[in-house]
Amino acid sequence: MFSGKLRSALVIGGQGIRARKLRTFLSMVSLFLGVLAVVTVQAGAEIAERAMLTDVELQAGKDGTVTGYIPGEKGAPGIVEATLKGRADAVAMISSKAIIGEPGLRPINEGGMPFEYANRGGDYQGPMVYCDAGGVCQEQKPQEKKPDGQAIEVSMVALTGDIRPFKPFRPVSGTWLDFASAPSLAPRIVLNEEAAKGLRQYRVPGEMMIDGATHHVTPQIVGVVEDGYPQPRVYLRLDELRTWMPAAAASSELDRFRGGGTGLEVYLQPGSHDLQQLLKAKLIGAGVDQKQVEFRVVNSKERMESELKIMRLIFLGMAFLVLLIGVAGILNVGLATVGERVEEFALRRAVGMSRMLLAGIVLAETLLTGLLTAALAIGAGAAGLQIALTLFGHRFPSLQGTTFPWEAGVAGVIAGLVAGVLGGLIPAIRAARIPIATVMRA
Amino acid sequence: MTAPAIQVQAPLIQLNGITKVLKGQEEPRTILSGVDLTVHPGQSVAILGRSGSGKSTLLSLIGLFDRADEGQYFLHGNDITKLPERKAAALRSAEFGFVFQRFFLLKHLTAAQNVAMALVNGQGWSSRRKRKQQVMEALEQVGIAHLAKSKPARLSGGEQQRVAIARALVRQPRVILADEPTGALDTETGNLVVEVLLNTTRQGCGLVLVTHDHDHARKMGRVLELRDGRFN
Ligand SMILES: Nc1ncnc2c1ncn2[C@@H]1O[C@H](COP(=O)(O)OP(=O)(O)OP(=O)(O)O)[C@@H](O)[C@H]1O
Ligand SMILES: [Mg+2]
Repeated sequence: MFSGKLRSALVIGGQGIRARKLRTFLSMVSLFLGVLAVVTVQAGAEIAERAMLTDVELQAGKDGTVTGYIPGEKGAPGIVEATLKGRADAVAMISSKAIIGEPGLRPINEGGMPFEYANRGGDYQGPMVYCDAGGVCQEQKPQEKKPDGQAIEVSMVALTGDIRPFKPFRPVSGTWLDFASAPSLAPRIVLNEEAAKGLRQYRVPGEMMIDGATHHVTPQIVGVVEDGYPQPRVYLRLDELRTWMPAAAASSELDRFRGGGTGLEVYLQPGSHDLQQLLKAKLIGAGVDQKQVEFRVVNSKERMESELKIMRLIFLGMAFLVLLIGVAGILNVGLATVGERVEEFALRRAVGMSRMLLAGIVLAETLLTGLLTAALAIGAGAAGLQIALTLFGHRFPSLQGTTFPWEAGVAGVIAGLVAGVLGGLIPAIRAARIPIATVMRA
Repeated sequence: MTAPAIQVQAPLIQLNGITKVLKGQEEPRTILSGVDLTVHPGQSVAILGRSGSGKSTLLSLIGLFDRADEGQYFLHGNDITKLPERKAAALRSAEFGFVFQRFFLLKHLTAAQNVAMALVNGQGWSSRRKRKQQVMEALEQVGIAHLAKSKPARLSGGEQQRVAIARALVRQPRVILADEPTGALDTETGNLVVEVLLNTTRQGCGLVLVTHDHDHARKMGRVLELRDGRFN
């Protein structure tokens, strides 16, 4: 019984569409633009959000990550290093200062600043006063001026494990540090883009001097990454660093005031509460100030989404206007078609078609048109994105590996369905209301 | 030996006091007021009456296109006066065949497809082969099987009306309702069409023919004239 209705509907719908190819095509054109607008806005918003999120995550860490900034004093680096050893759910970054280039010279970018600002600020060397927590102040003598030369200053970041699960560094060239292999005697380092730029620009000798290290080393550069920092940084394995710098250099408050010393950043996976407590207890036990051992959860997504939401709503509103025009087009064509087919519909009911089936067929014809149009528009959107990415993708590194977001596909199908229902319902109701006796009076 | 029971067959169609009031913008107008009509299987009835007397209105009530305001309607003795629309559609499909003054063939379909339209209406389903066989039988019955593949635009008026009659016959209905089927045809072709319709009564079909042509009316078993909303 049901299959009889369905098959009848298929036969009649097929005959109807075949008899009105041009008209079906024309109503599809207007709807196509509407659905394409919805798909484009949806895809654009998704891609923009992803791109923004990866940029934010690069700096702040992935959403949900627990981070802690710990002063590198009172043996904290050693404690953190020992606690996190061999763990995959937490990684520490221990950063200190290093100079790459000729020994005994003043680096081009003293203080480790971006090269853009190197040698710009003049040489202010006025008196500096440092006060400790007890309120005792003393003037700092200006550091003895070293001769300028071919050397750059970088932040040297030693890692206890792979940081990329927490901070999605993007590869630029070469490879990332290999944490699985046995530590190498010649330390392998990965540069960030700014450090790579400095090395390229100033052709410094490949020798590295580190505060507190026993001797100079010649590292092997294995790759370059984008890490979101404007300052030059180099990354290396902590265990490789230890082969020529046995003890963790603890820095004093005074070191930090000068902008040097050791900094400690810990990244923990969401839910690693026990580890957090353990670290805290050990650090406080070692005498680190409780107030300075703070952990917080990264929620970059939430903050960003509220900013994006308004933009997204505005564009979606515009897309819906375009879609509405498409619906008006399909509705217009649908109503005209029903007007033209009054006699056919009356006749079909006279020979025994039920009112519901007739309305169903009229609705199904536009619904089918709408879905077909949606499919075409989604295809066009996906193809357009692919083309745009191959043409312009290299200019926007954060768009690397972008694929057509499924949310946009879903939005397109929904838009097609809604347009089909809106554009087909009124004609269907009209068709169902045609009196059968029309066939006797026409 | 007891006397053989008389087989009292219920009439095909029985109308009692059918009234139809037209409710337009003006004050209500009574089109039919108390029409009685009985049609038995194999019977043919001609309905005469001047234009506007309500002949088509009566036919639309018999064919369940519309409902009466008063009176009763029995089909095979079943009261169908207040049948819901869904069941009425099923009865239109199974019990009635309709022929109109204008032929109402769909011009994008062939003669055979136009006939098949009555089979593709959501009331049951038969295979393509079965449908084709039924369609060809109906076309043969009206003598135009050779035109099965022609579109309406290439058929003469008489041929088109015979396609329409084949469409009415294809489900082997029990009643044929024809509203001035010869109105758009010349005398000779009209006669042919009336012959085709009368032939169906020989297989037990009931026939109600609305016409202005007294010659055609006389060929029917009974002639009724509608005047002032009733037969007299
Ligand atoms: N839908 C309608 N709206 C307005 N008036 C109608 C409608 N249907 C029928 N009528 C009126 O009802 C009356 C009967 O109409 P009907 O079509 O039954 O007459 P008829 O006898 O078939 O006439 P004809 O011989 O011209 O076909 C007419 O006066 C007609 O104007
Ligand atoms: Mg009439």
